Amino acid sequence: MLIKVHNLTKVYDEGRGLQPINLTVEKGELIAVIGHNGAGKSTLLKMLASWHLPDSGQVVVDGIDLKNRVAVSRKIGFVPEVPNLFEFFSVEYNLKIFARLFQVPFLRIEEILQEFDLLNFRKNRVQILSKGLRQRVSIGRTLLADPPILLFDEPTSGLDFDMTKEIYRMIKAFHAAGKTIIFTSHRPEEIKTLATRVIMLHQGNLVFDGPPREYFQSEVYEKLCLL
Amino acid sequence: MMKNIITLTLNDLAIAFKNKTIFLIIFIPLFVFFSLKLVDSAPTDIKKVKIGLIQDAVYAPVILQTIASADGVFTLSRVSSEEEGKSWVKEKRLDGLLLPAENQEKGLILIVLEKGSLQALSIIETFSALQNLVEGKNINWIADIQSLQQGGIQKQTLPTWILMLVLLVGFIIMPAQVAEEKEKKLLIALLQTPMREVEWLIAKVLSGMILILTAVIILQVMCNFETGSILSYIAFILVGSFCFSSYGIFLGFLCRNQASARTLGVLFYLPHLIPSALSDFSQKLTSIATFLPSYQLYEPIKNILLNDGHISNLPLEWISLLCVGLLTFLFSYLLMKRRWLM
Repeated sequence: MLIKVHNLTKVYDEGRGLQPINLTVEKGELIAVIGHNGAGKSTLLKMLASWHLPDSGQVVVDGIDLKNRVAVSRKIGFVPEVPNLFEFFSVEYNLKIFARLFQVPFLRIEEILQEFDLLNFRKNRVQILSKGLRQRVSIGRTLLADPPILLFDEPTSGLDFDMTKEIYRMIKAFHAAGKTIIFTSHRPEEIKTLATRVIMLHQGNLVFDGPPREYFQSEVYEKLCLL
Repeated sequence: MMKNIITLTLNDLAIAFKNKTIFLIIFIPLFVFFSLKLVDSAPTDIKKVKIGLIQDAVYAPVILQTIASADGVFTLSRVSSEEEGKSWVKEKRLDGLLLPAENQEKGLILIVLEKGSLQALSIIETFSALQNLVEGKNINWIADIQSLQQGGIQKQTLPTWILMLVLLVGFIIMPAQVAEEKEKKLLIALLQTPMREVEWLIAKVLSGMILILTAVIILQVMCNFETGSILSYIAFILVGSFCFSSYGIFLGFLCRNQASARTLGVLFYLPHLIPSALSDFSQKLTSIATFLPSYQLYEPIKNILLNDGHISNLPLEWISLLCVGLLTFLFSYLLMKRRWLM
């Protein structure tokens, strides 16, 4: 198995968060983590990405404890809901600084700019880019080190129809290339289109774990997602 | 329309309260009030003035008798030579050194650290009063006043400007920069890379030090001041910039956003700047300032620039700045490891 989550817990001051969660992720899976607002979806992803530290529990990624952040950093790439880029600098600068830190050759930047159709924007400041373009830069930056695991937090949130389709295409392409992907979502069509497995969280607890078809026929779906 | 204005105004006030800007509104007047109170009240209960006389010099008997009888005002010390007396004044073991003036039977030369200082004024006023009491209106006993500090008023204010620059970078720029990186999730993005926390911290400290050094060099070049012991000066600027850059980063880690960092920065900036910069004018402020790291930078810089001081005579100040820098660096590291308010 690629990721093993054991009794992972995180409780915020206001009481929300994640109750002890156990799950395993195999290589090549494309998992949708779903649930209402505050269910713990983003918290789970952010803990896997080392953004948040768990209160307790353990995550092992490809045999390495997540506590060893430096060793795991090349294995997991995280694309946040709101791109966190150096806004006053150009697209190229943003990629360069991370390429240096990941110690990847600058040639990789050219590949990323080409792959994400950003060549015409390389000198543009991130500040003036549209949300869709920023998301592309953010994904491109995550892929600099070519991590085998990709985490997307609400990847299509706030994007228009065309850009949403573009993101779907990218996720499918990454999956086809053998990457393991976990994304959070609210959209049923996203789950149907992309996911090979659905994990549903409710009030911090894991309430469903199975294939999408089973999810849409489950009691949980009827009870929690249908009016 | 009015309703909207009121709603928005209340919202702005709520934001000001939330990001702690409101504390500045309360803090600044309070701080200035207490500082001025300390400065104004200082001369009324001033301590005894420490006067030095040369052991073998010949002073007019009437002056010696008057000084001896005014033991409630003066603390008298005897020094073996003029050189020793001057070094005592520089070390602040004496407030003033009295030498007999040549060609004047009752004339005195007063040697002080700074002509306009509180101590110098106090000695002159006291002597004038005593002389009036003993002889009535006559030629002033103090015929000349010599200052040990070199340079004009511009040079004498240089340590204050340097302190201002160092504290500005340390308490205003650095915390805001760190808080911005936290607020915009840039720091957490950098932590997605194999970069270690300590590398980020060192880079941040270095950037603060470079900013401070650049500002000091520009000031130095523009004003063209001589610096005395250049190595000692550089050593103190380096350790001071390390200390306050590190301190500022630590403050940045205590804040969730830039607005809070700016507020907290000012809350630290003024109490570090004013007691140190005004310590020459008030003994009470000096006694408070001694506990501040800013004073541990200000005094040595002043000493080096104005009194030909040397780092070898100021080890405690240097070490204390280094310790504060290292301690705040360690705290910042621990907060970063815990992803504090990120």
